[in-house]
Parts: sequence; structure tokens; C-alpha cells
Amino acid sequence: MRPLSQKEKRTVRLGAIVLGAYLILFGGLQVWNAAARRYSEYQQLLAESRSLRTKVSLYQSKSELIQKLMKGFNMDPARLERPTVVARASAAIQTAALGGGVQIGAVHESPGRPSSKELGSIQLEAAGPVPALLKFVQQTQSLGYPLIIDSFQIGSEPSRPGLVKLNLTIVILDFDQWKQEKSHA
Amino acid sequence: MNVQQLFHSTELFIDIGRDVLNAVSGRETLQIPLERAADGRLSEACKAFVADRLRSFIDRKAWQPQAKAYCAIGARGVSLRVLNLPPATREELHRLLPLQIENEFPLPPDQLAWGFQVLTRPKPAGSNGTQEILVAAVKKELLEDYSTLLAECGADAVFTLGPLARSYICPQPPGRYSVLHLENGCSELITIEGGVPIAVRMLACGRDNLLETIAGQGNGRLEPVSVAAPATPASFSGTVPAAREQTDTGLSRLTRLINGQSLGRRVYVLGLEEQSRLQFPGALAAALGNGTECEAVQLPADQPGSAAIQGVRRALERDPARLPLVLQLKQAKAGVRLSREAPLKLAAVAVGLALLSLLIPCGEALVLKSHLARKLAATQTDQGRLIIMDHELDFLRYLKENEPPYLDALLVLAKAAPPGTRLDSVSMNRRGEVSVRGSLRDGQQVADLRSKLVGSGFFSAVSVEEQAPTPDRQKVNIRMSAQWKAVGSRPVPSLESTGRSPDRSLPAGPQPPGLPGAVEPPAPAAGPAMRNIPR
Repeated sequence: MRPLSQKEKRTVRLGAIVLGAYLILFGGLQVWNAAARRYSEYQQLLAESRSLRTKVSLYQSKSELIQKLMKGFNMDPARLERPTVVARASAAIQTAALGGGVQIGAVHESPGRPSSKELGSIQLEAAGPVPALLKFVQQTQSLGYPLIIDSFQIGSEPSRPGLVKLNLTIVILDFDQWKQEKSHA
Repeated sequence: MNVQQLFHSTELFIDIGRDVLNAVSGRETLQIPLERAADGRLSEACKAFVADRLRSFIDRKAWQPQAKAYCAIGARGVSLRVLNLPPATREELHRLLPLQIENEFPLPPDQLAWGFQVLTRPKPAGSNGTQEILVAAVKKELLEDYSTLLAECGADAVFTLGPLARSYICPQPPGRYSVLHLENGCSELITIEGGVPIAVRMLACGRDNLLETIAGQGNGRLEPVSVAAPATPASFSGTVPAAREQTDTGLSRLTRLINGQSLGRRVYVLGLEEQSRLQFPGALAAALGNGTECEAVQLPADQPGSAAIQGVRRALERDPARLPLVLQLKQAKAGVRLSREAPLKLAAVAVGLALLSLLIPCGEALVLKSHLARKLAATQTDQGRLIIMDHELDFLRYLKENEPPYLDALLVLAKAAPPGTRLDSVSMNRRGEVSVRGSLRDGQQVADLRSKLVGSGFFSAVSVEEQAPTPDRQKVNIRMSAQWKAVGSRPVPSLESTGRSPDRSLPAGPQPPGLPGAVEPPAPAAGPAMRNIPR
């Protein structure tokens, strides 16, 4: 092979430099575009995470309120089991009554109205001294079940002096119907 | 070569002797023979040769800063003076010293390359707070040659005194001592007292002359040798015609050249070869007399370079910032440590920071994107729990808002009931409808009860649906209805009158009057018996 002249060497060198510069620029552009795309995606993810953080931070106060209400009612709605809640609530009511010195009379259970988000209702008659009855009524709210006293009737018991008769209609709410609603958040 | 080396200047150590230039860079060494003109300066051909060799030895790239060359020059033409000056700062010394140098030296300061060292040895009594300054000076043109030569090769020269540098590798006993360095054709002698060089000389008696003496001693006698002494400059004027002593022995010539100068109790000898290292010190001590002890100093074998180079290195190890004595060509710049590395370093740091600021966001996106995407997906999956929380909150709120105030209503009713009231039945429901059946003494009490119920603010629409006297006209049977107000618009009744806490707990105890089953206040003796009204 014939040796290259100085001019040819210079031309080859120049060509190599131009080619190298083109490859560097082209490759650099590709890398730059890829990095820019990835950076843009990352920024989008960051914006989403910021929005999510704001949303979650709103639930901090909600969580505290839920804790407070659950403590007041002595109840965790998520742990209520729909098939057994009526039976357990009825048993808890009667246990509380007996424990407070209240005599339980007739008890009637009936299915609730789905439109009212009720699981069932319990009608019961009770008799006892006034303090025991009032304490029983108060305890009903914190038995650990979603109970609402729908009607309350208190009257004297002519046949048993010193005792008072109490008729209660207690509604048991259905938490599952709240679950099926759309979130308000 | 790493990145740090790319932007840092190379350190070069050069020993410029009379006949040889030794250079060391790292572990690499270079030795260049020198050819000098009659005035002791390098010849033009030698300059070109040295420049060529040094350039390839330094091998400085265009982007690199200039190499720093620490040059140890010989004793030729060097003068030392110790000056006493009033206490002054370093800047003030730069103004005072030229005036003193003009008095002490035969040449004006602008024709000299000079340096100074503030001495820290104990001051003699009566020094009146002055400070001692050691000044070393040499003709400027000599150093300018070296400086220009090195600048052409890409090195920035820093000059120091070779004999002084050699003393750094010798033991430094207290008192006066000397360091004698033997070269071919000449020797350099420096005398130090209390750590301060007081005299530096070049002697026209070299190793080659003295070795003949040793060889003669080996035969039991001193051989007369013919000494062709080179020029021995003793002043700035360059060469001085050397006296040729045709019949002088090496050692006797050396002692004659020393000319009775006190060398101290100890003389350290450098530059001896292995075979003469044992014999020569004894012969020199015998020739010097006066109890002078001579000791040969051997250079560390693991370090490259001459004794002067190793001395400079040792001095820099002690104080990397500067050498103890630096001969400056331009005193105006003295004290200002010019460094061409600084702007380059700053520029490199600035460029690095700029690149970093550009790359960090991209790097963050590259590294953290997948992690963030995973966490975001997990959090979005967990969003179902937020919906459950909403349901629970709605449910519990509903339960709380629909908790009927039966006990509150009973309390209000009991507090409003006048004495003698008998309530047979009280009915209430969740919607707030209240119905009361009972009996009171007369119509006035009925009106009072009604007005108190209305005045309590708890009820609205209190109406007496039926009011009928009993057959014996002693009491009035009533049937009242009312509606309690909505949550927020009705007051919370308190138990102040009964001394009980305002919460709704009702401990067992006496009931408020009027509640069903309550103990009736004593009825009037003439009053009719009460009767129950059937539901």
C-alpha cells in the first residue's frame, strides 16, 4: 500500500473529526431526548404524588374523628358481620338489661326496611326501677352495635308498685348499605 | 494518569550543579551535563540541549498548568548576610530589606536575585527587640537564565540554595558545624551555627583530587597530585583566576582553601563514593586538626536524586507551603504566592458544578422514577382504604346525629313539673314527638308546666291536647304533646339543680320529681286518692 501524503493524511484526519463530531452530536441528541422524556415522565409522577399527598393529608382529621366516634360508640363498623349482628345486638341488649337489674318482658324482632338502611328492629318490654331503666337506655348507645332507639315509652306499672314499665323499639342500622354508596371524598 | 493529575501541576526537583543538572519527577530521574561559558553562564548550545531534554522530561500537556520546579543552585556567587532589623511584618520587610541589601551587598537589589529567612534562634543580649534576617543573594542574570530556560519547558522555577538544602539531610547538632559536598573538580562548603547558615563557599578542590589522596593513604603515604583547579568565584564578579598548585596534595589544598575558617566541631561529608566513605573522614579530620570530627553522610538508597534534591524534598515535607529560603527574581511579587493552578481549578470546579446542576435532575429522574412509580402504584391501590374511611365516617356521623335525646327530654320534663304532678305515661320517638299523660292539681299548674316546657327552649309546639278535671274535682287530668327542637337549636339541659354532672350518666339515686314511679310529695290530707290513667 502506498504511503499517504501529508495532504491525504490531513483529509483523512479531518474526515474522521467531522464523522466523530457528527456521531457525538447524533448520539448526544438521542441521549438528550431520552433523558428529557424520562425527566418529563418523572415530573408527571411527581405531580401525581403531590396531589395524592394533599388528598391523603385531608384524611388525617377524618381519621381522628372516626377514632373518637368509634371510641364513643365502642364499635368498629368494619368488624360488624351482617348475618349475626341482629342476634348479637339482641343478646347484648338483654345482657345489659339483666346486668342493670331490669326485667325483660316480651321481645319481638322484625326485619328492617332496606330503604331506611336498617338491618332489623327489636321491640322489647322492660320493667324495673327508674334509675335502672334510665341507665339501661343510656347503655344502649354504647353496646358496640349500631342501635338507634326509634321509640321510647315509659309508664307506671299498676300491678307492680315501685316499678316502671318501659317499651322500646330499637333499630339496628345496616353498615353494608353505607359501603355500597359512592364515596363523598 | 487520573483526573486529579490532569488539573494539578507536576512537581519537579532540580539540582543545578556546576557540571551536571539533576532532575527528579516522581520516581523518574534525569541527568544532563552542562557546558558553561567563561563567565559561568550556560552556553547557548547547552541551553538548547537542556531545554530539549527537560521539555521531553516534563512532558506538560497544553491544558495542564505549569510544572513547579524546585531548583537548588550551587554556592557559586552566592553571598549570605545576617541583618538586624526592627520588628516588622512581612510586607514591611519587603520594603526595608532592599535598603539594607543596598548597604550590605556590592550590587543594588534590582541586579540581585535574593531571598530572606526570618531567624528564630535565641537572640543575643542587647538585641533591643530587633529581629535577625538571613539574606542570601546571587547575581540576577544567573538565575534569569535558569528561569527562562525552565519557563520555555513549561515549568515555574522556585530557587533555593543547594548547600543549605543538603544540610537538611544531615544531622543538625547544636553549635557550629559544616557540610562539605564533594563534586568532581570542586566542593561546596556551608557552615551553620545554631541552625543559621553563616558562610557558604565553593572550593576549587573536588572529589577527583581528593580521591588521589585517599589512594595515597591506602599506600601509607600522601601522593602529590596535580590539581587543575577550575575557576572559583568568590564574588559576584564571576570567575576568579584559580591558583594552580602543581605540587599540592588534595587534602592540603582543601585545608589551605578553607584558610583557617572555623568549621565547628563536626563536618559532614557528602558525595563520597562507597570505597572512600570509611577512609576519607578520618583523613580529613586529621588534616583539619583542632579536634574536628568528620562524618560521611550516606543518602537514602530508596529516594532518587542528589543530596540537594533530597534536602529540598525533606524541607517541603516539613512545611509543604514554602521552602525556608527562596531566592526571588522579582521581589515585588515576593510574599504573593502566584499560582496558575488557582484560576484553572476554580474554572474546573465551576464547570463541574454547572454540569452537576444539569445532571442532577436527569440523574434523579433516571434513578428515582421506577421507585416513585412503584410507590405511587402502591399508594393508589391503598386508596380503597380511604373510601372505606369515608363510609365509616358517614355511618358513625349518622348514628351520632340520630341518637334521640330521650333522657334529655325526660330531664327537662322532670325539672318543669311542679310538685304534686303525676305522670302516668311518657311516649317519645326518634322524630321528636313527645306525648305526656298525667295529672296535676289545677289548671294553674298545667299552665305553669306548659310555660316552663316552652321556656326551657328544648321543646317547640307544646300543646295541651286534653285537660279534664277528675270527677272529684281535686285534680286535672292532662294529655300534652310537644316536639323537641332539632340538634343545634335546642339547649343541652344541665343537672345543676340536682347537683349532678351534666353528662348523661344517671347513677342510681333519688329521681327527680315527676318521673314515672317517683315518690310523690306528701299529698294534702284531704286530697283524693290518685288514680292511674290507663294507656
